[in-house]
Order: sequence, then structure tokens, then C-alpha cells
Amino acid sequence: MAVRLLRWLEAINLAFGRVAAFAALALVLMQFALIIALNVFRIPSIWGQESLVYINALIFLGAGGYTLLKEAHVRVDLFYSQMGERARAIVNLVGVGLALIPFCILLWWFGIPYVVAAWQNLEGSRETGGIPAVFLLKSMVLVFTFGLTLQALVLAIRSLMTLSAAKPGQDASEPNEMKP
Amino acid sequence: MDTGAFFAILMFATAFLCLMAGFPVAFTLAGVALLFGGIGIIATNAGVGDLAMDERVLTLMPERIYAIIQNEVLLAVPMFVLMGVVLERSKVAEELLETMGQLFGRVRGGLGISVTLVGALLAASTGIVGATVVTMGLLSLPTMMRHKYDPKLATGAIAAAGTLGQIIPPSIVLVLLGDVISTAYQKAQQAKGNFAPEPVAVGDLFMGALVPGLLLVFLYILYQIIYAALKPEAAPPFPPMTDRAEERGALIARLVRALVAPILLVVAVLGSIMTGLASPTQAASVGAIGAIMLGAWRACPPSDHQAYSKGALILAVGAIALMSLIVLGKLTDLSANGSMVLRSIGFLLAVIGGTTIGFAAWRLDRSKSLRPALTATVTITTMVYTILIGAALFSLVFRGLGGDRAIEDWLGNLPGGQATALLVTMLIIFVLGFFLDFIEITFVVVPIVGPVLLGLGVDPIWLGVLIAINLQTSFLTPPFGFALFYLRGVAPPEVTTGAIYRGAIPFVIIQLATLALIAAVPALATALPNLLRAG
Repeated sequence: MAVRLLRWLEAINLAFGRVAAFAALALVLMQFALIIALNVFRIPSIWGQESLVYINALIFLGAGGYTLLKEAHVRVDLFYSQMGERARAIVNLVGVGLALIPFCILLWWFGIPYVVAAWQNLEGSRETGGIPAVFLLKSMVLVFTFGLTLQALVLAIRSLMTLSAAKPGQDASEPNEMKP
Repeated sequence: MDTGAFFAILMFATAFLCLMAGFPVAFTLAGVALLFGGIGIIATNAGVGDLAMDERVLTLMPERIYAIIQNEVLLAVPMFVLMGVVLERSKVAEELLETMGQLFGRVRGGLGISVTLVGALLAASTGIVGATVVTMGLLSLPTMMRHKYDPKLATGAIAAAGTLGQIIPPSIVLVLLGDVISTAYQKAQQAKGNFAPEPVAVGDLFMGALVPGLLLVFLYILYQIIYAALKPEAAPPFPPMTDRAEERGALIARLVRALVAPILLVVAVLGSIMTGLASPTQAASVGAIGAIMLGAWRACPPSDHQAYSKGALILAVGAIALMSLIVLGKLTDLSANGSMVLRSIGFLLAVIGGTTIGFAAWRLDRSKSLRPALTATVTITTMVYTILIGAALFSLVFRGLGGDRAIEDWLGNLPGGQATALLVTMLIIFVLGFFLDFIEITFVVVPIVGPVLLGLGVDPIWLGVLIAINLQTSFLTPPFGFALFYLRGVAPPEVTTGAIYRGAIPFVIIQLATLALIAAVPALATALPNLLRAG
């Protein structure tokens, strides 16, 4: 039951991850196209330039929870790497409870009025010819919070399962060796 | 001591201790910030000491995230990461190391030297210490051990080469550091009443780091040559591979693909930034596209001769089309005012180039390296940005408590002025480098100490280069250096941890000597950017 719930929650963040991966490729292609358009054909595009900011936001705000799922948010692993499974579960449970969830609450608390205000006047770009969707860009703050909140719950439940020695089920995350 | 400063120092100490527990850095920073934000507000309302924390600081958080979204300098981060990851996943890096090893392997110490050169070239594109050390450790350490290299020399060379990515442009460290220092510099100038300071750009920091970076590469190689000359048995030459007799043509093709093309790519990216042709962000996208095409070339199956030639031909045609398009655009007017014929040719070339890029992406995907590369790009980029968000909350509260003023009072009033303040900062960063990654240090520490130092008249580019080399040294210093940890993780058990530590020490000495040299002769860092700016 709990395992199925976890799969469901993680499926959402995995979907965010796929969108972000696509966005990463789109970002590079878009920037390259803009260089050619501007430097070769002398076609400036404020719209195009602004789209880079949108695509980038889709990557790093869309994939906040996904990155946690992939275990790729960097940790100071001086001691963590030496710990056993239970000790790690305790670190994660305490971290989620005392740091991550409060952080998410802060972002929901101040983020909702912030985004609502942007939607109320359908805030557009300050530049003429820009993308008239700043309200969508600002909404990404809540998308980030949403993904993180989901994954925080998943991490908490998984840690609890480890601690109560219940079978944690299939772990969807894979170790990511790309640590800086 | 005033109450705010007390709380600020307590906050820093708490963050440091909590980070050691191993919960993700970004969220730990945010959690500690919330705790002290709460304490600050309660204490202010209760009238503890002279604390005056504005309870509205926390409401600024969404606005801060939006400011991070709008930061166009940081757009270079995902693109440089993509470039590096594609080169790594598509095994271009591996082939480069192999080919260089074969070229230099016949010379004493040649294998170690090629590790240094590859580290300088490829680390340059990722700037991710762990990834570079792990890749090179896995690829070259077994070969070096098999040929009876001294384990100390082998591991030292690999760990040191892995950290080169911090300092040699275009590295992510320099992009992040450049952005933070540029903000700090503006603050320092505004505090002095200069409201239109000449901005410090990421490109300037790239140029500033180039000479010191190359100097380090030179010294690393020099050390290995001397070592091999004094102790020939420590770095034996390895015999040319006889079982891979290739035709002359095939060998040349492989040299071009494995050696010349990656070097050209890195040089093109750097060159376009140096000459002012492109911003770091623009150059990064060119680098990423180049990496995808190179990776696709690497992915064409050499065993199937016909398919290989076809793939290579398509990629070559596309690359030539794109290059001629850029040259055509420079030489003639392809804008709407120009000749219709030339413009049509231009569009045709653009279509050919675009199609080729699509083909390259498809080829890379079929060899199963595009998607992992994109996923890694997403997680690395998000990791960096999330720390930036956590650090933003941390700084909001730290400033709210008056911590920045406390640091300013302390650093600004040290006996000995600028020199002492700089030395103290460097020592703090060096020690922090044992425990924290460059991202945390860049986003948390540099914004606090940067404005003070720059206000004392320290040159921003010089400061950036000093910090970068300092961190690099820290990552290499036993027993806590990050690079050594990563290498330990992939080194075979017969290589002792003691050997890894002892192997790193000579390189640490080289680092410290270089650091001292640059501290004594700032022109090593500042001359090139000033020259290019004037020109």
C-alpha cells in the first residue's frame, strides 16, 4: 500500500525530470539558433533571448524534487558515507522534518501570495517584444516547491520504513556518480 | 560584542556542524537559516540586547528565487555541464586519454604527463572534480599500475589533474565565482559612492585564470619529468601497442577524432570568449553542440565501415556548412537588406547545419549516451541552483541579524589592513574547503567576505583567481581533500591510502608556491584581462 503510494508520488517527479532533460537539450539548441539568427542573419529576438530564461527555469526549478529522488543534491559525505542504513535513515528523517519541510512551508506561505499577485494582473515582460508570461515564470517557484514537497514526503516515508525494518520495496533511485 | 554578531557567528557554526551530518547541503542551509530567522525575530520582539531583525526578511524569499531565475550569467552553467557530460558519456574523454597515452607513453613519465594534459583539457569543460578524478582514476590508474608506475606518482598526478578543472577556463567554478564577485564588486563600489563601476564579467575571470592555470599545468609536467629523470624505475615508458596495428589512414583519422577535434573544440570555446566574439553563455552553447557532434562521430560504429563513413561524412558536411555560414555572415551582409541570393545560400547552409545537429543528437541517442547525459545535466544543474537558493535564504537571515556588518568590522579592522584581511580570508576558505564544496563556499562565504575585501581595494579578478587556486589546493590536501577521497574510491586495494596522501603532497607544494607567486605578482592574473579589455 505504502509502496504503491510512493511509486505514484515518484512518478510525478520522474515526469518532471523527463521534461527537464528535454529542456536541457532545447536550451542549448535555442541558444545556438539565436547566435546564428543574430550574428549571421542580423535577426534580433528579444522573445528568443527571454525564452532561454524560461527554459532554464524549467530545468532547475522543475527538477528540484527529481534531483532529490536521484540522490544528486550534494551532501557533505565525510561521515554520511561511513554510516549504516539506519543512521542514514535517521539523518534523512530529521533533515526532512527540521529543514526540508519547514523550507517548503516557507516557500508555500510566501510563494502563494507572490504568485497570485503575478496572476492577478497577468504580469508580462518589461521589454517590448518579450514573452508576456512573467506570471508563468514566477509560478515556477511553486512548481519547485511542489516537487520538493512530494519528494520530501517520499524520503520521510522511506526513512521510516527503513527504521521500522519494513521491506522498503523497489528503490526507484539509482546512485548518481556525478558528484562534484 | 553586539548581539547580532553573536547570533550570526552562532548561525555559521551551527550550519557548519549540521552540514557534517550529511543531509543535502541546500536544505541544511535553508533549515539553519529558518531556525535563526525564527530566533532572531523572537529575540528582537523580546528585546534581547540590541538585536533588530526585520521580520519581513523571510517574505523576500520568492523575490530572491525570481532574481536567480533572471540571472543570465548563470545560463552558462547548464550548457557547460552538458558539454562536459556529453564528452564524458560519449567516451570522447576516454579516447583522448588513450590516444595521448599511446603518443606519450613511450617517453619516461609520459603516461602521467598525458593524464595532466587530458585533465587540463577536459576538466576544463566540466569543472567537476569528482567526475574527472573518478573517470581518470578508472581509466589510467590500472594501466599505470600494470606498467609498474610508482603508485605515489600515479595517484598524485591523477588527483592533481582532476582538480585542474577548477581553475582552467571555461570552468563552472569560475562562472559561479565570477557572478558572485561581480555582485560583490558592485556593492563595494557603491559603498564608496561609485554608482557606475566598470563591471567585472565572467569572461574577465576566465582570462585572469588562464595564465595561472597554464602555469600549473606546466609545473605539474615539469615535476613529473624531473621525477622520472631522477627515479627512472618510478615512471617506466610503456611499449607501443603492437596488437593494434592500424592502417596509416585509420590511425590519422583516429588522431584527428580523438585528439585534434576535442582540443579544437575547447580552443574554439575559449577563443570566442577571449576575442569578445561570444559571451560565456553563447560560447557554452557552441561547445555543447560541438560536443554532441563529436560524440556522434565517436558513436559511429568503426566496425561497420560503410555506416561509419556515411555518419562521418554527414557530420563533416554539417560542420563545414555551419562554419562557412558563420564566415559568410561575417564577410557579407546576410540581413534583409543584403542580396537575396546570398541570403538564400545562407538559409540553405543553416538548414543543412541544423539537420546535421539533429542527426548528431539522434546518433548519440542511439548509442545510448544522449539521455544519460541530459539527465546528468539536469541533476547537476539543479543541484547547483538549489544550493544557490538555500544560500540565498541563509544570506537573507545572516544579513538580517547584522552578520555582514560584524564581518566587515572584524575583517576591515585587522592590523595590517588589506594583506592581513586577504590572508585570513584565504586561510578560512582553505580550511572550509576540507569540508565544503566549492559551490557552498562560493555562494555562502564569498558574498560575505567579498565586498569587504574589494572595499579594501583588492582587485576583483586577482581575488577570484586566488580563491579558485586556493580551493583547488584545499581539495588536494591530505587528509581531507575531496579529490583524494574520490580517488580512494576507485583505486585498487593494493594502492594504499598512505601512497595517495604522499603522492599528493608534492602537488600541494606546487599549488602553494603558485598561490604565493600570484599573491606576490598580481599581474599574472590581471595583466591578460586588462590587455584584452584595453584592446
